[in-house]
Amino acid sequence: MITPRIEKIRQNYVNAKPAISYDRALLWTESHKKTEGEAIPIRRAKAFYDTCAQLKLTIFEGELIVGATGEFRKCGILTPEFSWTWVDREMDHFDTRPQDPYVMTEEQRAFVRKNIFPYWKGKSLEESFLARLPKETAKVVVDTGIVDNDSKWRQAVGELTPDYQDVLFVKGFGGILKEAEEKYNALENTSVENAKKKEFYESVVWTSKGIILYANRYADLAFKMAEEEKDPVRKAELEQIGKNCRRVPAHPPTTFYEALQFIWFTQIGAILSENPLALNPGRFDQYMNPYYEADCKAGKITPGFAQELVDALWLKYSEWVWTISANTADFFAGYNQFQNLTVGGRTRDGRDATNAVTFMALKATEEVKTHQPGLSVRIHADAPQEFMDAVTHLVSVGTGFPAIHNDSVGYQMLLNVGYAPEDARDWSNCGCVVPHFRKTGEWTAAVNVNFGSALEFALNQGKTRLTDEKIGLDEKPMTEFASYEEVENAFYKQFANLCKHSVIATLEAQRLHQELVPRPFLSSCIEDCMEKGQDLSMGGAKYNIGPVITGIGLAVVANSLAAIKKLVFEEKIASSEEFSKAMAANWEGYDALRKLAQKAPKYGNDDDYVDSIAREICNFYYKEIHQYKDINGATFNTAFMGISNYLPMGKVLGATPCGRKAKEPSSEGVSPYVGTDTATPLAAMRSAAKMNQEMHSGGTLLNLRLNHDLVATKRGQANLGAMIQACFSLGAFHVQFNTISSEILKKAQKTPENYKDLLVRVAGYSTQFVNLSKSMQDAIIARTEHAEF
Amino acid sequence: MTAKTDANGGYILQLQNFSVNDGNGIRTIIFMAGCPLRCAWCANPEGLTLKNPMTSYMTADRVIEKIKKQMIFYRHSKGGVTFSGGEATFQTEFLRSLVNRLYDMGIHLALETCGYFSFDAVCDILQKMDLIFMDCKLMDPRKHLRWTQKDNALIHENIKKTYALGIPMVLRIPTIVNVNADRDNMKETFSFIQQNVPDAQLEFLPYHQFGEEKYKQLGMPLPEKSFGTPEASLIEEFTELAHEYDIETVSYR
Repeated sequence: MITPRIEKIRQNYVNAKPAISYDRALLWTESHKKTEGEAIPIRRAKAFYDTCAQLKLTIFEGELIVGATGEFRKCGILTPEFSWTWVDREMDHFDTRPQDPYVMTEEQRAFVRKNIFPYWKGKSLEESFLARLPKETAKVVVDTGIVDNDSKWRQAVGELTPDYQDVLFVKGFGGILKEAEEKYNALENTSVENAKKKEFYESVVWTSKGIILYANRYADLAFKMAEEEKDPVRKAELEQIGKNCRRVPAHPPTTFYEALQFIWFTQIGAILSENPLALNPGRFDQYMNPYYEADCKAGKITPGFAQELVDALWLKYSEWVWTISANTADFFAGYNQFQNLTVGGRTRDGRDATNAVTFMALKATEEVKTHQPGLSVRIHADAPQEFMDAVTHLVSVGTGFPAIHNDSVGYQMLLNVGYAPEDARDWSNCGCVVPHFRKTGEWTAAVNVNFGSALEFALNQGKTRLTDEKIGLDEKPMTEFASYEEVENAFYKQFANLCKHSVIATLEAQRLHQELVPRPFLSSCIEDCMEKGQDLSMGGAKYNIGPVITGIGLAVVANSLAAIKKLVFEEKIASSEEFSKAMAANWEGYDALRKLAQKAPKYGNDDDYVDSIAREICNFYYKEIHQYKDINGATFNTAFMGISNYLPMGKVLGATPCGRKAKEPSSEGVSPYVGTDTATPLAAMRSAAKMNQEMHSGGTLLNLRLNHDLVATKRGQANLGAMIQACFSLGAFHVQFNTISSEILKKAQKTPENYKDLLVRVAGYSTQFVNLSKSMQDAIIARTEHAEF
Repeated sequence: MTAKTDANGGYILQLQNFSVNDGNGIRTIIFMAGCPLRCAWCANPEGLTLKNPMTSYMTADRVIEKIKKQMIFYRHSKGGVTFSGGEATFQTEFLRSLVNRLYDMGIHLALETCGYFSFDAVCDILQKMDLIFMDCKLMDPRKHLRWTQKDNALIHENIKKTYALGIPMVLRIPTIVNVNADRDNMKETFSFIQQNVPDAQLEFLPYHQFGEEKYKQLGMPLPEKSFGTPEASLIEEFTELAHEYDIETVSYR
């Protein structure tokens, strides 16, 4: 049961509106004005220090873990060094946009236009990217919905897991500072290499000093508030907060409570430094349990208080708002920051890893019902029954959490890209469903590529159906294809071209990130960067894994190819010409053909006719992407992730031969197209498992809806557990369930004020249903609800 | 298609995967066509006859092929296959051939039956079951005849004989207001169980009207409107009453 004081914090959080603070952007800008001409890493590190030294501090009512990025409870910050133009263009409509609106006052808007944006004109990452990107690639990738990587040039990368186990909890930022100073002093600028290293260590000196100063300012504030506090209970709480902030993150934590406060300061440091996507807490239960056990043994903590503190951290994770453009918000809907926290699985040496904190994490998500952290579990074949019970119980509550992952497939995915077995066994999730490891630099969501566009170009002479622009390669009219093989080849030709442009856009972004936005604070959280004296962006981490390119629309394309193959070339009951006309007319006047197309085999029903087409696409995709190498010489990787990108990628597509109409959502991950997996979830699982998931090291995603009645009883939950284990033994990596009935979702659409905390699974993550746009809500309601009894 | 029902194949209503209410774990239910009874409330009217617009012919090979794909789910959930209907024993040879093959594959098998069969003709099939569900619809022979068109003496005899095989048994009472959902019938049923099959478990199946759409599709007259779904409190009352007779109740919900 949630305690009254956590419930109070929770209510304050639930009822707050996301708002934009320009405090960080202003301090960042003012600092940069003073450092013109200095090396970029130093400038960024000094800006970080100045921000930490001057940012307005707030301790909200009743808080047990403190630290805020701005003055608002749900607060988004601006990072004009990455991009300010979209903010300038869009901020007048921030409060009215359909997906992820923010509060920003007229006074604030006038202020940033006058005092912040002018400085960054011509200097931002976005402007540089757009200036340098080859024109023929720009045509394909800039705000088209065909290939999309805008989160890599309008935003920071993020996609990282700070190393608490071997760096932060061992050294503290005080230890990192000392190490950086020693290394700096031991080097002389007698070579370019040394000069670069010195630059790196100096930047880490600044960021370490900055985060320590920021925490000490919080300590001062807490002690001051304690002095003025009348309520003795709150007074004691504030004094404890003061002591915590004095100790961490300068020093390694000595208690469970200090460790939690340390984690949040690390998140804050990362947010202030770059406002990153997917800043993952990683294997929380593994690095927190030793503190919990020691405190329990010493009588310093009760299980109840420990649970309250974990709940409090969950609320802090959820407060931070990732400020993003309307375009990005379509792809990553629901104020999601993708802080993925992973529990369960196996230890580095291969034992079962569940412990007391594993269960506290599951309980916290059930209690506070926040969309953050993104709670993931690793399930191995011999997972303890109590753990399976706790996981399936949480599924039955209907939060969409946890994301359920196959321990051994995650391990396999990391082995495939070159991790040592022990490190691969230590994996945790990044963002939504990317298997990841904390000593890694990687772009885990580098690009989204619209498979549907490749098919559209193949069947429409290289043009988009909706705008009639020639964006794809030359192709003959669809009516001239003499065989199914020709159709398929045409698709693969266009598809390969989109893959190529994805790579070009990523390489350009990578070059610019090295040049313009090095990451000293985050580099100091990663072990080998400090050892090598090299920034993350320069390949400083132990593992530098190639960027992940996410495929969207697998089911739509497989279903479409299957329909053409069967109806046109095998059964010959429809002609290419009819199909071509029907799609041009968005099926208007072609009801009979559309019915035939809808009845053709559909991916997700364990039907090899269409599943084998899907598998072939996956295999081709892997080979195509794997021929390219990134800026560090690492091979590009494939994924079938979700996020909400199947909506914007559907919006730009005309009608497709599978029976889908123009602009309707595409399909996500390796999930079936909505409403077409009409057999059973078991059949959908079997179809998905055919995709050789373990070689797509960027992760794969399968979302299913289950009728709540199926998992309402303990017996139902036990069957769900068995179903998950069966699915995993087939080789699937991830599965996640929405168990809320359509009726409840429809009620929430009508009276959102009554459903503010209703969580649903979007794709690879859960978020508040009421925070999704109408079209996104409809897409979720449309997913097939499996209710077979 | 016209084909005869024999060991090679027969008529089925549906092969329903991912079922969780007719035995343990995740199961496939094979709904077999044909039934000797004519229960006035029948929820699966398409199961009354072998050939009708809602049944289809399927070879035993095809059934086995489909079952093979589900085995991984049975394995993890300790589930299996449940034969239902219609009346599962009606196409005896088809049933026998399926049961023999699935038995050899080591699959957990359950059977749902109305109890109206020739015991000697199906005894070998029953012996291969891991769990048997038998209906015990109505104790009063006259009422039973009126509502199902058949006498219940054979059914009661078969319940006793099947029980003697020593296979776990669940007696099921489809509980219908204005037919059998009264205390007298329940008391009589429970006495019968206590005296003859004391270790059988008991499950109440509250009547529902989900079958109406099928009647319309088949052009058949709808069941009487007077049939009612019992309140949860009534089922609760009967459950408590059963416990007074030392009968164990179960629910696969």
